[in-house]
Amino acid sequence: MKSIRTFLVVVLLATITLIVFISALRGYRSSMQQTELLFDVQLQDIAELLDELPVEPMAPIDVQAEPAREGAIAFQIWNAGFLRQRSANTPDTPIAPFELGYHDTNFSNHRWRVLARQDGKGEGWILVAERADIRFRLAEDVILKAVTPIIFGMPIAGLLIWFVVGYGMKPLRRLAGELSGKASDDLSPLSDDRSPAELTQVIQSTNDLLTRLAASFEREKRFAADAAHELRTPISVLKIHLHNLAHDLSSDNQNVARLSDGIERMNHLVEQILALYRVTPDQFMANFTSLDLYELARDVIGESYPAFAAKDQTVELTGSSSPMVGDRFALQTLLQNLLSNAGKYTPNGGEVLITVEPNAQGTTLTVEDSGPGIEPEEYERVFERFYRVGGDRHASGQPGCGLGLAIVRHIAQLHEAQITLQPSSFEHGLMVRVDFKSSASRVNPDHA
Amino acid sequence: MPVLLVEDDRDLAGGLKHALQNEGFAVNHVTTGGAALAAIEADVPDMIILDIGLPDMDGLTVLKRLRVVHPALPVLLLTARSSLDDKVAGLDSGADDYLSKPFDMGELLARLRVLQRRLGTVKSNDISIGTLSLDTATRAVCVDGDPIELSRREYMLLKALMENAGRVQTREALETKLYSWGEEVASNAIEVHIHNLRKKLVPGFIKTVRGVGYVVG
Repeated sequence: MKSIRTFLVVVLLATITLIVFISALRGYRSSMQQTELLFDVQLQDIAELLDELPVEPMAPIDVQAEPAREGAIAFQIWNAGFLRQRSANTPDTPIAPFELGYHDTNFSNHRWRVLARQDGKGEGWILVAERADIRFRLAEDVILKAVTPIIFGMPIAGLLIWFVVGYGMKPLRRLAGELSGKASDDLSPLSDDRSPAELTQVIQSTNDLLTRLAASFEREKRFAADAAHELRTPISVLKIHLHNLAHDLSSDNQNVARLSDGIERMNHLVEQILALYRVTPDQFMANFTSLDLYELARDVIGESYPAFAAKDQTVELTGSSSPMVGDRFALQTLLQNLLSNAGKYTPNGGEVLITVEPNAQGTTLTVEDSGPGIEPEEYERVFERFYRVGGDRHASGQPGCGLGLAIVRHIAQLHEAQITLQPSSFEHGLMVRVDFKSSASRVNPDHA
Repeated sequence: MPVLLVEDDRDLAGGLKHALQNEGFAVNHVTTGGAALAAIEADVPDMIILDIGLPDMDGLTVLKRLRVVHPALPVLLLTARSSLDDKVAGLDSGADDYLSKPFDMGELLARLRVLQRRLGTVKSNDISIGTLSLDTATRAVCVDGDPIELSRREYMLLKALMENAGRVQTREALETKLYSWGEEVASNAIEVHIHNLRKKLVPGFIKTVRGVGYVVG
């Protein structure tokens, strides 16, 4: 069903037409019978009138005074087997058998309705006839005149129904408008004042659903925060006690180093899963603010520097101040993940180049490394969750969980940014390029 | 040095206490905000390590209350939350530093040493990295034990870098440390000082992270 309005108008009009047609048909039949009766009574009257006339033998007279009704009425007066009087439009022979009552006969090229009646003395016959086709036409005219307004009324009825149905559907349209006008993260209840009884139930149910959804989102958000707290504290405990253990052993112990690596890896995984969870587009309640991506990149590089220093890598930031609108926390995570990947897969002494530059469309961020790079056919797969190039036995021997780029992609999606992979400008290596559209050129203004 | 540790997780607190004692701190451990405020009232510690998530009240509330009486008492906040808002809220509430869990013990100790030096009560005012040592009390800087002459700004720059060894200091951060607010700063002032410092120090001691800032160690 395309539209309730069209459906209602069509169905109502069809119903009305059907009923009008059936009743018109029935009305036509009974009207015809009624008019037949009426005309028959008229014939009776004419016959009585003729009976009162003095009978002059054989001087045919034409009763047709009006030319318009020429030949519409005819009569014959017979007495003792002789024709005494007749109208000009009758033959010399009897126009009907001498039997009391009405007869349908043919003469003078027409079909007639004839009333045969005996005169007052009971000696002769008075035959009065009326042309059947004219009678029929007259009767039909009367009926058609009565039915015509109904036929012309149909479009008007349709128009009225269209408007009335439209008016009746107004609350539904208002509700639809309110629902479609809602932002994707707006879970506030719908207003149900001024809505008709039929819609109140719908609105109430929708509001119940929205409330439950909001509560569920709130729980999910709390879960992320609680899980973060619950998971980070035990990892802190492990780290502290490992630190103390290393202190007490007071020698370089291989087992301590391995344990430390294991804890770091678990810590990394926990952080990445939490980050992935938090930036999933339908979970994320983005908090968009004005920020400078260049400054943010500078801060994140500063924080990540120890990891680069540990591998004796050169890290460089170029570009210029790039004000944009975005979620600071998410963009920080994006930068951290890209930098961490670049550092991880670039060998000792390698180079990492970060560029943040504003342009006509918005801001472009690129992170290039001088690592081994990725084969173009792997470009799409690296964004899948838990996917790692070469599987778990990654050639770099770097631990990882394969979530980093999945998170980056989520965050890019949140910012409606385009993310592309290509070879870096170094001899070999990967370039990750993220194009942020400026809020002015963004199609969807919801997040701006 | 007496340190008050406010942390409700006993496993974590036990480990922290042990580690801090190994480093020569005298640790008083309490598990609630109320107990922390009572402990501060009874005997003011030199420093406080304060967890934000406490069972009886928010760590930030504890911080605000103790700030009324002790505006200068160094407080290091610990938190398992990582949102930036919490960090801002923590520093706005008057925390001197902020560390999110899980942290490296080395990182915690480095932060504590910075707070310690700020107090000026530390026995050894020496910061040594490699062959370079800097005495924050006498402002003497020595390479291999030989004193070198530094201007006031060069000294402040070196101190800022050495206090945050291993952490990149952005040019903006260094500018705010070297110059008071509203003071005219030439756009290349930091570069010039770094250039001059490098000539007096071991080559490669101050590393440039291009586009970001400078780092030592």
